Amino acid sequence: MDNKGWSLKGSLLLLLLLVSDLLLCQSVASLPICPSGAVNCQVSLRDLFDRAVILSHYIHNLSSEMFNEFDKRYAQGRGFITKAINSCHTSSLSTPEDKEQAQQIHHEDLLNLILRVLRSWNDPLYHLVTEVRGMQEAPEAILSRAIEIEEQNRRLLEGMEKIVGQVHPGIRENEVYSVWSGLPSLQMADEDTRLFAFYNLLHCLRRDSHKIDNYLKLLKCRIVYDSNC
Amino acid sequence: MDLWQLLLTLAVAGSGSAFSGSEDSSEKPKFTKCRSPELETFSCHWTDGVRHGLKNPGSVQLFYIRRSTQEWTQEWKECPDYVSAGENSCYFNSSYTSIWIPYCIKLTSNGGTVDQKCFSVEEIVQPDPPIGLNWTLLNISLTGIHADIQVRWEPPPNADVQKGWIVLEYELQYKEVNESQWKMMDPVLSTSVPVYSLRLDKEYEVRVRSRQRNSEKYGEFSEVLYVTLPQMSPFACEEDFQFPWFLIIIFGIFGLTMILFLFIFSKQQRIKMLILPPVPVPKIKGIDPDLLKEGKLEEVNTILAIHDNYKPEFYNDDSWVEFIELDIDDLDEKTEGSDTDRLLSNDHEKSLNILGAKDDDSGRTSCYEPDILETDFNASDVCDGTSEVAQPQRLKGEVDLLCLDQKNQNNSPSTDTTPTTQQPSIILAKENKPRPLLISGTESTQQAAHTQLSNPSSLANIDFYAQVSDITPAGSVVLSPGQKNKAGISPCDMPPEVASLCQANFIMDNAYFCEADAKKCITVAPHVEAESRVEPSFNQEDIYITTESLTTTAGQSGTTERAVSSEMPVPDYTSIHIIQSPRGLVLNATALPLPDKEFLSSCGYVSTDQLNKIMP
Repeated sequence: MDNKGWSLKGSLLLLLLLVSDLLLCQSVASLPICPSGAVNCQVSLRDLFDRAVILSHYIHNLSSEMFNEFDKRYAQGRGFITKAINSCHTSSLSTPEDKEQAQQIHHEDLLNLILRVLRSWNDPLYHLVTEVRGMQEAPEAILSRAIEIEEQNRRLLEGMEKIVGQVHPGIRENEVYSVWSGLPSLQMADEDTRLFAFYNLLHCLRRDSHKIDNYLKLLKCRIVYDSNC
Repeated sequence: MDLWQLLLTLAVAGSGSAFSGSEDSSEKPKFTKCRSPELETFSCHWTDGVRHGLKNPGSVQLFYIRRSTQEWTQEWKECPDYVSAGENSCYFNSSYTSIWIPYCIKLTSNGGTVDQKCFSVEEIVQPDPPIGLNWTLLNISLTGIHADIQVRWEPPPNADVQKGWIVLEYELQYKEVNESQWKMMDPVLSTSVPVYSLRLDKEYEVRVRSRQRNSEKYGEFSEVLYVTLPQMSPFACEEDFQFPWFLIIIFGIFGLTMILFLFIFSKQQRIKMLILPPVPVPKIKGIDPDLLKEGKLEEVNTILAIHDNYKPEFYNDDSWVEFIELDIDDLDEKTEGSDTDRLLSNDHEKSLNILGAKDDDSGRTSCYEPDILETDFNASDVCDGTSEVAQPQRLKGEVDLLCLDQKNQNNSPSTDTTPTTQQPSIILAKENKPRPLLISGTESTQQAAHTQLSNPSSLANIDFYAQVSDITPAGSVVLSPGQKNKAGISPCDMPPEVASLCQANFIMDNAYFCEADAKKCITVAPHVEAESRVEPSFNQEDIYITTESLTTTAGQSGTTERAVSSEMPVPDYTSIHIIQSPRGLVLNATALPLPDKEFLSSCGYVSTDQLNKIMP
């Protein structure tokens, strides 16, 4: 029985791996895979960064498209833009806001920041998917992308943790992240308010995915290529 | 009226508003574009709406505010740099720029807000155009018509690509100089890209533009790069589609070859006949050489008899008479001696010559003419013996002797077997003087004959016909004169009845006759003749009497004397064994008892074995 169970588990894992790889391969170049169960799988830092950059780029693309889709569909003529300069829940995280600041910050800190941002978005993404599904005439374009972003965000988080483990091993800070409290807004009965809440969320998502993408590219050039991309 | 007024008012108001609108638009400055080229600075531009009367361009002011914290606590600040970015613009350097921070700017004119705009810097990134375009030739096609080039450029200098702060992607466009439509290539992340398949005789224009990755907006285009490819090589061939003659020729030949092979295979036999016609093997017409080998003498006999039809036609009817006449003439002419004598004489050449002179179209031509004798060896058995003769002339003479009386008939049936005559000379002596004549191609025979027939006196009495009385195994033929006892009846004077009868019978079989026929002749012939006359058969030029029939009949006739050594009247019939050798005809002794029934039954040749059996 044990053997059967293990073989079944193994096959399922393999299947999952395959599927996830296939999904990843849709938009991302295929990279050598380290089986999730493996302990001593040493993927080079370069490969890790490459994968991370690819993932972050992919997430940013998706969020941009999602935002544009939503904007086109729901937010036209509502003047959301002028009102959308409200803060995102991750604004409290003191992330560098220009190139000088980014260059001055130590890469370990930057890595931690990235991790924080990524963690901060786990919850909102999850709820986003739920709420978009619940929307009337749930647009498939937005929903599929939301689902994909959530998935990839999780993977990016795992990858980043691996990178941190390699770059800065040993130190494991408390899992700090910003709490998202925008859920009630998403569930508002008023359609306008709800739509604005969605708009805001998607806007923040696009911004943060761009931020992470930039940070990672910067780090990659700095760490892997020694500031000479 | 009211309606008219209303309409008029509306029209005026509308035009007025339109007018005012345009004026307003022209007066009011508006933001045209805010742009950050490298994600470090940005600038905003606006139109200067001042048209009429507003002489203070500086009245337009830009105020900005950015959200540093979650609160909009700050006040509006004025544009730090109105100059750097040109007129009607505000330039924010890197110290004033914060990425991922919302900005709001507003344009004021004379204190009144004219325009407002909110954005984030990362949303307005439009990189500068790339610089340093150049191209290199990659390769030229074999036809010399197309070429590939590699276009390289540098990223815009203000974009910090090296540190990875901004990632750019580029788009290249190219076109021929005289074209109007640009061809676009897919965006690439690298700063060099190959352009394939450019024509060598054309000039091209190339330009590149860049944008931040993930953004939608492209920056401005770079300067145009002119690509002048080297001239076409003089050996370049035309690009026009050439009819593939070569291929067509090859396939055509292939197809034809296939058809030809099919044809050949279907008509194998015929073509074989055409190319390699069967070589005619020497054979007797209508006679299968195998028959001879197998010893089917009956068949051969019949066949041979058929063949002989041609010749006898000449003299079938008049053979006897002709012969007689001719012979007489001959006799008259040759007072010196009979032909036989001449033949048998030493200077047989002379005789031959004489004989040869008599070559005319008598009925004896069949075996007379040397040509026939020589060539028709296979064709007619009649002349077989003679054809074998090395000296056809001699044969002539011998043939002639058919009706000749044996003149020199020593009639010594001794025939001796002075054999080994290589010259087949069949001399059939008249039975009156049975005397073996040695026949064959050998001269010795001749001599023997000569000796035997030495008596010139006998010329007068020489019979026209001689019988072959004996054949020696060595190949010599022993001729015996015709019937000795025959009185006055020359073989040529065969009773017409008999003659005719026999003739009739032997019409078909010139030289060869079956035993039965022979018997008939014999029996019919006057019994005076001790020997059956073969003359009728001999008449027909076919001197050659064959075979067993002769032997048999001879045997039966009772004159079973060994012709070899007997002086007794020899039987009329002797068997002739025709040897295919220069020896020619070999006659078999007829007197021999016939040990074998084979002789009796067969009408054809006597095989050597049979011959040997008969002969001692």
